[in-house]
Amino acid sequence: MAALTVSAARGATPKMLRSRAAGKLLLLALLTAVLLPVLGRWGNGAWPHELTVSLAKPLTSASNWVIDNRDSHPLFLYFFGYISNAVVLCVRAVYLTLLALGWTGVTVLGALVAWRVAGVRLAAGTAAAFLACGALGMWVPTMQTLALMVAAVLASVLVGVLLGLAAGLSDRLDRALRPVLDTMQVLPAFAYLLPVVLVFGIGVPAAVLATVVYAAPPMARLTSLGLRGADPEVLEAVESLGATRRQRLLTARIPLARGELLLGLNQTIMMALSMAVIASVIGAGGLGDRVYQALASVDVGQALAAGIPIVLLAIVLDRVTAAAGEDRRAQTALTAPPGTPRTIGWVYALAVTAAVALAARLLHGLNWPTGWTLGIAAPVNSAVDWMTAHLYSGVPVIGGTADWAGHFTTWVLDPVRGGLQWLPWWSVLLIVAALAWLIGTWATAVTAVLAMAAIGVLGVWDPALDTLSQVLAAVAVTLVLGFATGIAAARSDRVDRALRPVLDVFQTMPQFVYLIPVVALFGVGRAPAVAAAVVYALPAVVRITAQGLRQVDPAALESARSLGATGRQQLWQVQLPLARRSLLLAVNQGVVLVLAVVIIGGLVGGGALGYNVAFGLAQGDLATGLVAGAAIVCLGLMLDRVTQPTERRATKGA
Amino acid sequence: MSATVPTRKPPTATDADAPVFSVSGLWKVFGPKAERVPADAELTALDPADLRARTGCTAAVRDVSFDVRKGEVFVVMGLSGSGKSTLVRCLTRLIEPTAGTIAIDGEDVRAMDKTRLRELRRHRAAMVFQHFGLLPHRTVLDNVAYGLEIQGIGRAERRARAAEVVKKVGLEGMEQRRPSQLSGGQRQRVGLARALAVDPEVLLFDEPFSALDPLIRRDMQDEVARLHREEGRTMVFITHDLAEALKLGDRIALMRDGKVVQLGTPEEIVGSPADDYVREFVRDVPREQVMTVRTAMRPAASDEDGGPAVRPDATVAEAIEAVARAGAPARVMDEGRCLGVVDHERLLDVVAGVTDLPSSTPEAV
Repeated sequence: MAALTVSAARGATPKMLRSRAAGKLLLLALLTAVLLPVLGRWGNGAWPHELTVSLAKPLTSASNWVIDNRDSHPLFLYFFGYISNAVVLCVRAVYLTLLALGWTGVTVLGALVAWRVAGVRLAAGTAAAFLACGALGMWVPTMQTLALMVAAVLASVLVGVLLGLAAGLSDRLDRALRPVLDTMQVLPAFAYLLPVVLVFGIGVPAAVLATVVYAAPPMARLTSLGLRGADPEVLEAVESLGATRRQRLLTARIPLARGELLLGLNQTIMMALSMAVIASVIGAGGLGDRVYQALASVDVGQALAAGIPIVLLAIVLDRVTAAAGEDRRAQTALTAPPGTPRTIGWVYALAVTAAVALAARLLHGLNWPTGWTLGIAAPVNSAVDWMTAHLYSGVPVIGGTADWAGHFTTWVLDPVRGGLQWLPWWSVLLIVAALAWLIGTWATAVTAVLAMAAIGVLGVWDPALDTLSQVLAAVAVTLVLGFATGIAAARSDRVDRALRPVLDVFQTMPQFVYLIPVVALFGVGRAPAVAAAVVYALPAVVRITAQGLRQVDPAALESARSLGATGRQQLWQVQLPLARRSLLLAVNQGVVLVLAVVIIGGLVGGGALGYNVAFGLAQGDLATGLVAGAAIVCLGLMLDRVTQPTERRATKGA
Repeated sequence: MSATVPTRKPPTATDADAPVFSVSGLWKVFGPKAERVPADAELTALDPADLRARTGCTAAVRDVSFDVRKGEVFVVMGLSGSGKSTLVRCLTRLIEPTAGTIAIDGEDVRAMDKTRLRELRRHRAAMVFQHFGLLPHRTVLDNVAYGLEIQGIGRAERRARAAEVVKKVGLEGMEQRRPSQLSGGQRQRVGLARALAVDPEVLLFDEPFSALDPLIRRDMQDEVARLHREEGRTMVFITHDLAEALKLGDRIALMRDGKVVQLGTPEEIVGSPADDYVREFVRDVPREQVMTVRTAMRPAASDEDGGPAVRPDATVAEAIEAVARAGAPARVMDEGRCLGVVDHERLLDVVAGVTDLPSSTPEAV
């Protein structure tokens, strides 16, 4: 008998070890058991004070030094000063050009460009969007934002293409740049604001440069991807004909990468718009500033009047640039002789624009006519007031929106935050390690743990856990809603068709805009921040989920059907397991997007790290802001690594 | 002569001509420190699996030597992974060989500097690729003119020359289309035209037709055969299709695991396989369409001076038809001289594959 049990036990152990997940957990448990006596020395509560490093003093002195020397030190005079001046000059030039064109000139130019690259329908849409901006009384702020964006996009494209060319042509540079660009992609926009403010101070140059830093990576990534993704046999054929390196680049690699380049342009423009609006916090004027000011005084009507032009601008820019990419591709498939010159259209467009601008100038019609504005702020505010009076609370049976927000805070956010802050600090690290290792590799686990520990060392453990609790709650809600909707969209074509335009619009809107409706509905606080985050992250999650499920091998699905599986069985036993990778990617994207908005939620009472950054910027207390910014970077890094599936790494390496 | 029987054409050039490509002792080894493998006699003796286990290297081309004569179609044939595609890329150093010598018209290719090599690729050897390798953003005409553009020829002249070649490959009227608007066969015609446009001394084909439908493949083979007949350009043709090799090749090098296992005319490959691998390979070939009466005939007896006459390079299939029609043995006549006689028995032996053919002397390798 004894022999039997022994052999049974022996048989069981390797089996358990063979299961990789169990093995990893076992190893982690062992490690903890060994380290616990050492770690326990520092207590079982929040991050031990002995292990923090206060950066306040050095950071404050650094920022003071920068402020003192900004006008005298050669580094600023001859380097940053020139950059700053160039940026101001560039933005100013674009702005003056736009003003000189007048509202009619800008509208006509926009419409003609849209017509040229995207057809009549988008041209009409573009004109309508510009006119709406004017009608809302936002013509000047719109032009300010547009000027800032044009400058930022030009710089981003230049920087992005140069980096992308370097990474696309040199393997070593690619290896060096790729992780940096990958990481930049997952960091919240807010984290980019502080370092530029430290160097350039609050103002337009800082705003433009933050926008460039934020918007250039996608251009660089896609340029490199396009150069590397070219059909190797085409390149070999080109080489076999005796092309030089330069000929190969100019006649084959760059033209072959055209699709990716245009996609990069599209993404860069969208990210630049998103950032140009957020950068209002550091002195970019224009629409973002109007929203920011309005939100600060909870003036929803004003915020909406400035928010609508942002949304319109976003949709128009996205559609027109996306159509430019598709148009070229469609053109290659057309039988129409490509010999017909396309340039005459451009000349024509410019001529018409000049004529219209000149006519407007002669008629003194450069500025938007004052009588033509539509004051929506007052009616919207009275509507919001009515909502506050009637919908906030006390609605029979369903309660009110403020009640929901209050309940969500009391029943979900508070317990999660309390639980996280109650957990011993080392166990938080352990959980992070376990999750990251189970989903990814040991390397991602190490990065995640180090990032989390860095937050503790920076001394912002508690606010970071507060932010984390909001992120977790928002991610949970997002995933439940997102997976449900995604599954519905994947299984029914009708749902998919109905959802598509909604998702398209939602995915193009800048993060900042989402704060407006949630403030109207839920007031300020943590719950609205979470709500905005959910709304922002939902489209991406829905889309990735639906796509993943639809891409499941039809043969596998067919074979399941032929075996008589019910719809539910097909979903649970075939589609979901096979779409595992997409689902993990959806989680990853959801987490990254939620974090970005939860941080911005600091502006509407979300508190925690986002508030620290905003506070630091508003009070000129850069030390607080920078520490919080660094913590945000660490949090973003940790959350991305924890949810990063192994496969994604593998495909990226290839 | 029946049209359906693919008759092999006689080699278009005399054997006395100097070789266009002369390859000897060529090695291409992939892997870490590849250059030590060809130099080490012990390593060269290993078979591929052992070599990989020992060194982590894969030898794609192992000690290959051959000459490509002027005006001939030289076919390199083998299954996938036999190293044939690597071999053809080594000829213009699209893949850098590890060891051995390659000479084009007596000039050492491996010693060429960048400029000289570019010159070789631009003017002397052009390649046709399996998946065409066309530039999708250019029209057919500009794709064909691409090689000339690379050489720096002006737009008007290169377009005029390209238009001529486009006509030659039968794509007239499609000059302004894009590759995505063409069928597979048409795309490969563009690939062929692009190679022809630079008027190269040698055309290199890397499995050009294996991505095409069988019917279109036959069309394209006929097209290549026609071009060769008309222009007499030297061709190196890579294929994994034995029928294609036998149809097009003046001489065939059969590769296996990076080595040339047999090099000879189609008749030699089919008639006297060098080893069991080749024998297995050619087992299903209709021998009567490859073998000529020259190998099937027996000396004429003194009383046999009647019956139909056939040329010595006529296929056995043709002879069978002649013998069947006449009901008597056929005489093999070359310039009025009777070389021998083929009768029912000899022809049947060839078809059945039971003849013990005189093993043709393998050509100098």
